[in-house]
Amino acid sequence: MNFFKYLWTRYHPNYVRALIYMLQANEYYPFEYMAWYHRTNDFYNIEERKHLVYTLKAILLSAFAWISLVWSFASSAIFIYWSQVPGIVAAIAGFILAPFIVPYTLFLLIVFLNALQKPVEAVIVSRAKAKLKRHKAIKIAVAGSFGKTTMREILKTVLSQGKRVAAPGGSHNTPLAIARFVKTLAGDEEVLVFEFGEYYPGDIKKLCNFVEPNWGVITGVNEAHLERFGSLEKAAKTIYELVDYLKAKSGSFSKGSLQQEILGYVNAEGTYQPPRDPSSFVYYDKRGTPSWEVTTVESSVNGLIIGFAYNGEHYQMRSRLLGVHNVGPIAAAADIASRLGLSPEQIGMGVGQTKPYEHRMQPNLDGGVTWIDDSYNGNPDGAAAAIAFLKSLEGSRRWYVTPGLVEMGSRKEEIHREMGKKLAEAKIEKVVLIKNSVTPYIEEGLKAAGYAGEILWYDFGPTAFNALPKMTVAGDVVLLQNDWPDQYE
Amino acid sequence: MKTVAVMFGGRSAEHDVSIITAHIPIIDTLLASAQYDVWPVYITKDGAWYCDKQMNDLSFFQEADWQQKLARMQKVRLNFDKGLTIEWPGFFDRHIKVDVAFPAMHGTYGEDGSLMGVLRMAGVPFVGCDIFASAVAMDKVLTKQLLEAEKIPTPPYVWFTRGMWKADPETLRREIKKLEYPLFVKPVHLGSSIGISKAKDEKELENAIEVALHYDDKILVEQGITEMIEVTLPIMGNDDPRTAHVERPLNKTEFFDFNDKYLSGGGKKGQDGANSGYSQIPADIGEKMTEHVKEIGVKVYQTLGCTGISRVDFIIDTKHDKAYVIEVNTLPGSLYHHNWKKAGVSNMDLVSGLVRLAEERHAALKDTTYAFKSDILTKVGGAKDQK
Repeated sequence: MNFFKYLWTRYHPNYVRALIYMLQANEYYPFEYMAWYHRTNDFYNIEERKHLVYTLKAILLSAFAWISLVWSFASSAIFIYWSQVPGIVAAIAGFILAPFIVPYTLFLLIVFLNALQKPVEAVIVSRAKAKLKRHKAIKIAVAGSFGKTTMREILKTVLSQGKRVAAPGGSHNTPLAIARFVKTLAGDEEVLVFEFGEYYPGDIKKLCNFVEPNWGVITGVNEAHLERFGSLEKAAKTIYELVDYLKAKSGSFSKGSLQQEILGYVNAEGTYQPPRDPSSFVYYDKRGTPSWEVTTVESSVNGLIIGFAYNGEHYQMRSRLLGVHNVGPIAAAADIASRLGLSPEQIGMGVGQTKPYEHRMQPNLDGGVTWIDDSYNGNPDGAAAAIAFLKSLEGSRRWYVTPGLVEMGSRKEEIHREMGKKLAEAKIEKVVLIKNSVTPYIEEGLKAAGYAGEILWYDFGPTAFNALPKMTVAGDVVLLQNDWPDQYE
Repeated sequence: MKTVAVMFGGRSAEHDVSIITAHIPIIDTLLASAQYDVWPVYITKDGAWYCDKQMNDLSFFQEADWQQKLARMQKVRLNFDKGLTIEWPGFFDRHIKVDVAFPAMHGTYGEDGSLMGVLRMAGVPFVGCDIFASAVAMDKVLTKQLLEAEKIPTPPYVWFTRGMWKADPETLRREIKKLEYPLFVKPVHLGSSIGISKAKDEKELENAIEVALHYDDKILVEQGITEMIEVTLPIMGNDDPRTAHVERPLNKTEFFDFNDKYLSGGGKKGQDGANSGYSQIPADIGEKMTEHVKEIGVKVYQTLGCTGISRVDFIIDTKHDKAYVIEVNTLPGSLYHHNWKKAGVSNMDLVSGLVRLAEERHAALKDTTYAFKSDILTKVGGAKDQK
């Protein structure tokens, strides 16, 4: 039904732009783009949250798409004309068919370009690999479904108190992005911290072979990107390629080296917990690590005050990171730092400098209202941590704003109902939901748990964000959970 | 989705202030809520009515050619058949049925009860005070006379019309002499401090009266208090009014004028519409005086029969620790949303709360009987009349 309702949008002048925008939004992954194309009917209302950026690639693809559109029209018309159909009928048929052909020609072009790009990328990566192999720094790899960037930043900040540390910025976690970062290294760094991104099975293994890490940190496995992996087990298997690599390499570590003591760190708080291997890995959670035991935790909108027991001494450390879910990663960083020779005082200084990374539980006080931007946090554990943090702020009027979580695959109903249940249990006063395919499940969860607060619905995220300053008063706390990219319904 | 018509502009000296009030916070908030279909109804200084959604954006009125754009728009007319309908006359009949009217017009023809009369005739729920409270509050003298009758303290005063001043100024001067300087000379029907002057001697008084008569035909000369502070109290509700914070304007000039209120204050006007940098909220007048002011404020609100929202202005004689009511404003500029926000009422709660109060009052009015059966028409022209 919707196919016919929005058929006209394929003949709108913005149709080509929508296709190019969605290629860009899907990072030019051809199969994700095709999946979007096949589930989309309305090609008019596409650029709602972001807009097409006219990079050289986007301009060339747009030109190709328009040429392709004209060519599709012409060839269809000629083909039909040759089939003994009157000219005018052929032209109309060509016009009708052309918009259905262009998305596929674009797909083929991207597949072709990616194939062309691969050898070039391979050369760049291989040069970086050679440089990295010569580099004497300890290489720490961070992998997991969630919390990678925060872990990387905590490690970088804490270890910088006693070591020369470098790490790629932003979300640079692919081989090409890491290769570009390696090119910038001076060579005298003592510790390099890498975030490993997983998109498909085998990705982490490839990165391991490229970076050859000495240590690894698994931040946790959950349903993030479940749609791509199909099952939690497959996602875990991909992430644990890092553990497999470290274990396989363990024999090559020199006697008495740090790596002979332990191979890495694993977050014991993730949804998915494979069998433990405490002889090779340190498990961390909000109780700390075996060496850095957490004795007390105070959490507020200003951050954390954590009491640690280490080597029979007590240390109190402050961090500007929000939420008790950060206690485990901070303890792990302290453990790593102490193994690398940093004093507890240096570690305390480093922890004191940790602060929320962009769009991850990042607070901002405006007009007396505390806004917490958690828009880059789109996984069930992250959402649960954010709700738990809001729960701890009883006394303030609390707002939870979300479009739900993407790529939750077959578990989307269960996960969103659970979110609703947790919000109801936390007695969050106001829940603002953005209309899409998953938020009704949050409402169901809220209602099933006897939610007594107010549920407010908005058609689009920007509309809700615009309304919030008019709905809030001084003392309110507003948490913005996850962003909903345009490629999802 | 409820259709709300926000009415602003009008034949008033406060025409421009009304545009600000209508947009910040009313239209902006109603639109942001995504729960209302908002129609801006703009009345020109000449009294022509326009309605076009382009005017939902305040920037429309800030463009250099907005009046030319307006001239190209079609004027609307009102239909009172079973409520209020806004119509665009023409070949293609266009009309919208209004569920709630939201008057945002300050001063004459708007805040003085005239518009409320129109809306009552239409039988549509409308936000804010009804015709009677609006008409009384618009006349500062009538308000003072009512307050005196209820034994609510208000400063001594003399009033006169333009005709009375022309006919016998000497008698009025003698009456004024009984008051103590400084004196405040005010046009009786204007708000936003327009046309108000402070006179410290007879010479300044003459000039102040001339200025006030330029704006109005009825003048109030009110005794000032030397050691005093001004405070104001926004109030909201129908039968059970609630107060916002007592607010103290921090005067830059000798008294709080139009510029202080809307334009000065270190550029803090911005999104608040009214100048948010000019006042102290809550006013630092002590807990006892704050409670006293709130108590009197609510009494004034109820005495005048205010509904929806109003603001009661006071001066506090700091020497004698006494509060006097100066006037009542039935449509506070920008609804004093900056004050309400500090009192824990968000713009959304304020605006949607006012819409709800309008509907409640309208529903309550339905229980009032305004007509009764009579046979008077059948008897007219009968035997009695033919005698």
